[in-house]
This record gives sequence, structure tokens and C-alpha cells, in this order.
Amino acid sequence: MTMLKHLFTLLKFRARKLSVKDRQQQASNPAFVLNALVLLAFTLSLLDSILGWVSLLVLCSTAIRAAIYFAYQKHLPSQRTMSLLALLSAIGLAYSAIPLGLLVAMVNLLVMACALKLMQLRSQRDFYQFIVSLLFLLGCGFIFNQSIAYSLFYALLIFAVVLSLAWFHAPARARKPQVRYVALMCLQAAPIAILLFLVLPQLPPLWQTPKAKSAQTGLTEKVTPGDIASLSQSSKLAFRATFNGTAPAIAERYWRAIVMEDFDGRSWQVNTQRKQQIQLQQQGMLRFSPQLTGPFAEYDVIAEPTQQRWLFGLDIAVPDSRQSQNEIWQSPTFQLVKRQPVSSAFQYTLRSYTQAMANQPLDALSKAINTDTPRQGNPRTRQWVSELRRQYPHNPDFIRALMQNFAQQPFIYTLRPRPMPVDPVDAFLFDQQAGFCSHYASALAYSLRLGGIPARLVTGYQGGELLAKPDQAPYLSVYQYDAHAWVEAYDAQAGWQRLDPTAMVAPDRITQGLRQAMEQEGSFLADSPFALARLSDIAIFNQLRLWMTDMDYNWSRWVIGFDKQKQLELFKALVGELNPWRLALLGGVIVLIIGLILLFSYLPQWLAGRRHPLQHCYQQALSVFAQAGFVRPAWGGPLEFEAAVQRHFSADISQCFNAFNRLYLAYVYRPHTTRANRQLRRTVRDMRRHLKHLKKLLSPAMREAQGVNRQE
Amino acid sequence: MLLSQKYINRWLDKRIPPATEFQLDHNTIFIFAAKFGGLFLLLCLLLFLLGTNYQNNLMLLLCYFLLALLLTHLLASYRNFSRLTIRLGKLSEVFAGDDVALPVWINPESAPAVHGIVNINFMGQDVQHWLDCDNYNNPVNIELHCPRRGYQAIPRVTFSSYYPLGLFKCWTHLAFAQQILVYPTPRPCPLVLTSKASEQGEQSQSGQQISLANNDEFSHLKAYSAGEPLRHVAWKQLAKGRGMLSKIFSQEQQHSGWLVLPPGPASQLETQLGQLCFQVIEFSRQSAHFGLQLGDIVIPPSSGESHRLNCLHALAIYQSEPSAMVDRQ
Repeated sequence: MTMLKHLFTLLKFRARKLSVKDRQQQASNPAFVLNALVLLAFTLSLLDSILGWVSLLVLCSTAIRAAIYFAYQKHLPSQRTMSLLALLSAIGLAYSAIPLGLLVAMVNLLVMACALKLMQLRSQRDFYQFIVSLLFLLGCGFIFNQSIAYSLFYALLIFAVVLSLAWFHAPARARKPQVRYVALMCLQAAPIAILLFLVLPQLPPLWQTPKAKSAQTGLTEKVTPGDIASLSQSSKLAFRATFNGTAPAIAERYWRAIVMEDFDGRSWQVNTQRKQQIQLQQQGMLRFSPQLTGPFAEYDVIAEPTQQRWLFGLDIAVPDSRQSQNEIWQSPTFQLVKRQPVSSAFQYTLRSYTQAMANQPLDALSKAINTDTPRQGNPRTRQWVSELRRQYPHNPDFIRALMQNFAQQPFIYTLRPRPMPVDPVDAFLFDQQAGFCSHYASALAYSLRLGGIPARLVTGYQGGELLAKPDQAPYLSVYQYDAHAWVEAYDAQAGWQRLDPTAMVAPDRITQGLRQAMEQEGSFLADSPFALARLSDIAIFNQLRLWMTDMDYNWSRWVIGFDKQKQLELFKALVGELNPWRLALLGGVIVLIIGLILLFSYLPQWLAGRRHPLQHCYQQALSVFAQAGFVRPAWGGPLEFEAAVQRHFSADISQCFNAFNRLYLAYVYRPHTTRANRQLRRTVRDMRRHLKHLKKLLSPAMREAQGVNRQE
Repeated sequence: MLLSQKYINRWLDKRIPPATEFQLDHNTIFIFAAKFGGLFLLLCLLLFLLGTNYQNNLMLLLCYFLLALLLTHLLASYRNFSRLTIRLGKLSEVFAGDDVALPVWINPESAPAVHGIVNINFMGQDVQHWLDCDNYNNPVNIELHCPRRGYQAIPRVTFSSYYPLGLFKCWTHLAFAQQILVYPTPRPCPLVLTSKASEQGEQSQSGQQISLANNDEFSHLKAYSAGEPLRHVAWKQLAKGRGMLSKIFSQEQQHSGWLVLPPGPASQLETQLGQLCFQVIEFSRQSAHFGLQLGDIVIPPSSGESHRLNCLHALAIYQSEPSAMVDRQ
């Protein structure tokens, strides 16, 4: 018998233990399904980086969680199934993620782990581990997407994760107050986070990090004009530039990025010797500084991530701030090269000497590289150039003649040229006479070299959309469709000069931009019919587009581009000259501000929670009487005290207290109603009114006056 | 270990003195980062490193947001927990060797201002109970095993909560001022009333002897409440799916006389007290008129509920070692 009883208590204990463990695992708890949706949404936002089958795994786990939440299914997949699945997934990932590069592989691994974990969340520890990995994953999302829209999207997901945590710890709390409560907590945390962000030191990278490998965007290091049948365009932003003072005219906005000096008859690419030079520069064994004279323009550039090391600048640009000088250097071909590829929005400060290009000397290496031509191919062009050269032995005349050729012959500027697989320069110059900037630039540079003049192809961007408002510095947005190619030629008298054959054929392209130039052909952004940039004829869309551009600009300038320098400027604006004493003061003030934020968000609730408002009001009235020397005995009830007041005080006081007391009693002994809260608010409001009156009547001055009256 | 435990206990006694009702405040609440909070900090550190290495301000912002959330969570969890009002209700009768159900009333008077799950356990033991503050019934019964008769102090009860996000653990160790009076285990025996206390030695044979073994008459069923003896549970009813019900027995006979503790060796004392306890209960059930004599303690013959309690009290504390709680007072 006792053994049975023992067994029973043991069983009961076991059962209780289990229930403690599983209490938060109830199927009805929305925390799990919410997290599953967060993971799914995150996967969708990174669909191009996350492997297809990993996304499918996420979809499966979401489906499982949804099925459990809606009670279609009662059991999680068994431990054995999950182990098998995990093993297979690990093998699959090891096989398929290697070519993706470390970063993308890591994100894939995390997504996969989260999906698998989600399928078998059993204990509290599992849940916590899952939440931490999910939050980390969401943080990684910011490596890939940094625009306002994505940031807001991820912020929403983070909120959902926090909400799910709250649900895990209070499964039975109603939906609306739960959401409101968590939102309030997040709102309290937000200003503190922003303050910390502004104040805590912005450190330089601690070690080199793996970069996304596959996603190189923007310009390429090799241009093959004949291959491309149609230039694919995108309305994505390339970079933004903010000018100190006025921006240069549109025809002067040639943003140099990559200089190509090797030509094999078909394509142009960066010279291998130049690449070596850049490497030597990186190791600190080679220095290059151009001769800088003349007027200059100062500006900031925020480059969008390209995963490449080339940066953009007007000729001849040198890094201006110390931070930019550490990160960027100038190659012997006046390109700006960054120490590491641009993996997230990168801001740098430049100073451009707009007329200094003419003064740069031509060294022997440059001369050798830039006059080199392939021995074979393009026979018609060779012949034509040699004839022309004979006609114009003087260099400037020869250059002018070449340029004039583009204007005189019926050349067409088009974004849809036909491919020219054999002898592309010949085909372009003499057969088709239609192409876009790189066709023209390639043909001109080749012709110049054939004529013995050092020449090279420069790619970059031309133009950009200027937004100038009276209250802020003018800034320029340059999009991918502003990509351009032009020629640089060296003449002993004029030095390096920029030659843009496109300007001879389609002057609109240079002075008004690609959209205007392509108006007739209709090929501007032909691949993306719904791009807002295509719809800029409609006023409201253009307004919307410009407004969004502005928002995006400010976002990338002040949030994404916030760096050490901006932080220092902020400090300087706050405390003036920087010294340790003032910085310490600033720190103290910030801690104080955080304290105040917390205090103000909790003080009212603390005060309210301390004592019931009704009781508080009543106690106040008692203390008013106590100050007048009339203390309520501890054994007396409210009615008794009311009678005592009536005996001791004048009629107006006792009447006032009477009304006050009746209100109090009416609430305390009220029948239970559903609208107790409203009733309480009204009662307290009325009681306060009486209390105020009572205080006035019982104030020493008043009583003195009354006492005088009575004596009289 | 024991010594430190002793110091902790002494410190706790000073900080949270025993009371019958607690409104949690900064004196009674302890708060510290939970394990998950540590993991969360690690996450923040990782995000900081990654954000710095990628020069990614949004990641840094996320890191700082999570840190700020930690800070607001600290206050939010404290505030939530401090709304807890805890009162120990009336204790039911308990006999040595049984479990007593401690009825804990959580926020008996106010609307549920506290949210989330609250864990309840005896200090230093595993979590045995939990209640969801958004959905529970008062009182919450906590079982405590009572091995010996006499006054027994209630060990400190720990209430803990991880609400809202599980980053911090709020807890308190409450000491309830009530003491449990544990009656001796009733031992079934023949019901014997001697006629007079002074002549008990000689009268034991001639006294009225009423055997009441298995003479209880089943009266009715009532809903089982935790802490009631398990042997009264109507198992058949439970098997039929009618829930836990207790059998109530009644008896109507009338008796009068004395219950006397016979002199004997100390080893027999517990058994004899148990038998007396059984008889007190049974005679009271029959509304008999009886007195009790335990050595020098004499309770004159009477009947009724208060008499029964007096007798049981006397039996419970007779030569029992004083408990720690009695010491303290």
C-alpha cells in the first residue's frame, strides 16, 4: 500500500516536472509561428544570396510550425528524422556553398541551422538559442541590404522577434496589450540606442572580413564593345556626391573610375603592369602623387557597395580628409583605389583639381603602354589612319580630324547596336556606324594609337542628377545608367586631354543625360518598364522619385555614412573644443539623459502603482486635517470621522468633506460593475476637486481669518 | 557550504522578515541577468565586432538597440514583478507523514496587473509549480511534506519570473510567518474511553470499550482539494471520469469519558500519541464527550470542534522538539 502511494507521488512528481518543462511549448503559443514567419520573410529578402534548397527548407519549417499552430498536426518530426535531415543538409551545404564565398556560405549555414532548429524546438534552451541565432541573422541582413525600405523591414522583423520572446514568457496574455507593451519597451530603448550610436566610438575594422564574392556590380575591368548587343541598364544608384559650394556643370562631370590601357583588337582591359603598380602601392613600396595646381572643388562621395576597389572622382581627385587618405590612394593613372573592396556604402572626401590634367608628365612606361597596338586585325582602320596621318602630320590637327570624322559621317548613337564579332573597329567605323559610348571611345583610342599618339580608354560615369535646395549643400545622384566611356590622349603641348567622341555624335548624352538622348529610340531602361526614372514625365511620379532620392540621400549620408569624422564634428558642435574634461562632462550628461529617459518612462507608473489613486486622495484629505491638528483615530471608520469633522469644524468645511467622503464611500462599497475603471476615474476627479477646496478652507490663512471672525 | 548557507539565511531573515502577506518591493526583489541574458550579451558583442569589421552602422545600431533593450527590460521586469502581492491562506489540518497544501493567494484583491509565468518552489529546490499570471485560479496550492508532528516552520518559498523577455530573472525568497501544526499520524486502534482520569490504571479494563474499527459510515462525496488525504479519494469515481472526489464519512454515536496517555517507554510514545490522535478524531466525529490527559496536561471533557482542535494541538506539541521558527520568535 505504502509502496503504491510512493509510486503514485513519484509519478505525480514526474508529471509535474514534465509540465514545467513543456509549459511554454503549448501549440497555441504564437511565438513559434511568429518566428517561423520572420525567418521566412528574411529568406525572401535575401533570395538571391540564399540557396534554393535552403529556402525550401525554411518554407518546410514554416509549414510545420503553422500546421502545429493551427492544430492540423500535433507532433514535431521525430529526433531521428531531424538528425538525418541535418546530416543531409550539412553535406549539401558543404557541396554547394563553397563557390559562394565565406560570407554567403555562412549566412546560408545560419539560415539552414535556424530552419532545422525551428522544426524541433523542444526545450526552453532550444528556443533561446534559436532566438539568438535569428537575431544574429537579421543583423547579417544589414550587410546585404542597407536602404531605408530594407532597414524598416528588418526593424519590423526584429520587433517581431522581441514580441515572440514576450509571448514565450506570457503565453496567455491578450494579443493587443502584449503588442502595445513590447512596442512601448522598444520605443523606450530606441532613443537610448540612438544616443549610444552617436556617442560610442566608431572603431576602424579590427580584422579583415570575408566579403561577398559573387555580387560584383557596376563597372567591369574589361570592355569588349563588339560583344554587347544591347547595353543592359539599371536605375540603381552608383554613388552620390555632395559639393562644398557649387557643383560643376553637367558637361564637366566626368567621373573617372577605371583606366584601360591594354587593347588586343577586340577588348580593352586594365594593364597588368598597372595592376602590379597598385599592388606595390598597397605594400607601401611605391608612391605616386600628381602635380596639383589650379582651381579645385571639394566634395564628399558616398559610394554604393560594388565589391570592387575602384572609386569615383572628377579629374584629378586626391583624398582630402585624413581618414580618406588612409583608405584610398591614387594610382599612376589617376584612378582612386581603395584598400579593400567596397562592401558596404563607403564615404570619402575628395578634392579635385579640375585643370591639373594638362600638366601631368608622360613617363616612359605610360608612353610605351599607351602607344602599343596589336599587329593584326582591323586592316581598314589601319589603312585609313595612316592615310589621315599623312594628311595631318601635326598632332592637334590629326586629333581634330579624327573627332570631326564622327560628326561628318552618319554615325548613330544607339543602345542596341548589332554585334560585331570580326574586326570590331572596322565593322563599327565603316559598316555599321552605330553604337554606344564604348564603341566610339574604343575606335577613337585605337585610331589615335595607330597615329602614334598615346591614348587610353577611361570608363566611369558621366552626368548625374543634381538636387540643389536652398537649405542644404547641392548633391548629385549618379545612377548605373550614367555609366560612360571616353578617351584620354597625350599631346606634348596640351598634356593629357579628355576626348569624348560620343559628344560629337550625341551631344544630348553629355549635356542632358541618357534619358533625353534616348527619347526617340525608347531604349532607356527598356528592361525595367516600371522604374520610376522612366516615368519622370509624369509630374507626381517625378516628385515622388525626387522625394525618395532625397530621403535616401539623407539616410546614406547621416545614418549609413556616419563615421568617426562626423562623430567628432558632432562632439565639436556640442562642446566646442575637445579636451578630456569636456568629453567626460559629455559622457556624464549622456548617462544622465539615459537615466532621465528611463525615469520619465517609468515614474508615472511607479507612482500610480504605489498606492491606489482613490486611497491616495483620501489619505491626502486626512493629512490636510492632520495639519490642522485634527488626526483621525486609527480605530475610527470614515463615517465616524465625518461625524467628528461635523462636530469640530464650520459648516462649509464639513459640507465639503461630507461630499468628499460620500464619493469615497460610494466607490469603495459600489456594486461590482464592468466599468469600474471609468467610474474610478470620475470619482477621483470629483474627489480631487473637493480636496482642493478643502485645502483652501483649511489653510492657515483662512483659519486665521475665520478665527478672527469668530472672536469678533 | 553550510556555513555560507547559514549566513545567507541570517541575512535573508533580516532583509525579508517573515510575514503573512507580501507586497513585493525593492527590499524583497532580487534581480540578475538570466542565462539567456548572458547569451544575449554575447550576441551584442558579436554584432558589435561584425558591425565594426564591416563598418556597418545599421548593425551597430542593432547592437546598441539590443543593449538598450536590456536596460529597459531590467526596469520592465522589476516593475512587473513588483506588482505581485502574495498571501498565505488558511492551512488545512495535516498529520505527520502527509503533505500539506499551502494555499498561496496571488494578487487576491486586484485585477491581474502582473503578467507572464511565475515559478514557485521552495528555496534551494527545483521548480515544482508555475502559474501564468494571465490565467490562473487562486489559491495556488504548494505541497509541503510534513514528516514529524509538532510545529513546523514553512521553508522560504521562492517566486521567480522571467517576464517580459527572459533576459533578467526577478525572484524573491519569502518566509511566511505562519507555522504548520502537524498532528501525530492517526493510528487505527480500538476506541477506548476510561471513565476517570485519576484512576486510569485500574479503570482501563472496566471502562467502556467501543470498537469502531471499519465502522465509519460513508456519508457523501465532495470535490477533492489538494492536500486532503489520498485514501479518501473515491478512485472508482475517478475511473468513471467524474474527476477527483473525496469520500466524507460520518458517525452519529454518543460517548463520554477520558482519553489517557498510558505510561510507557519513550519509543512507544509516537505510536501511543498516534492512537490517541485517531481516537480524538473518531470520538469527535461521533460528537462524544471526552477529556484528554497527557502526563501533566489535562484537558477537561468537552466536545465540539474547538475541543477537538485543543486536543489535537496538545497531542501535536506534547514533548516535541521546538522548531526553528519557534526559536526565532
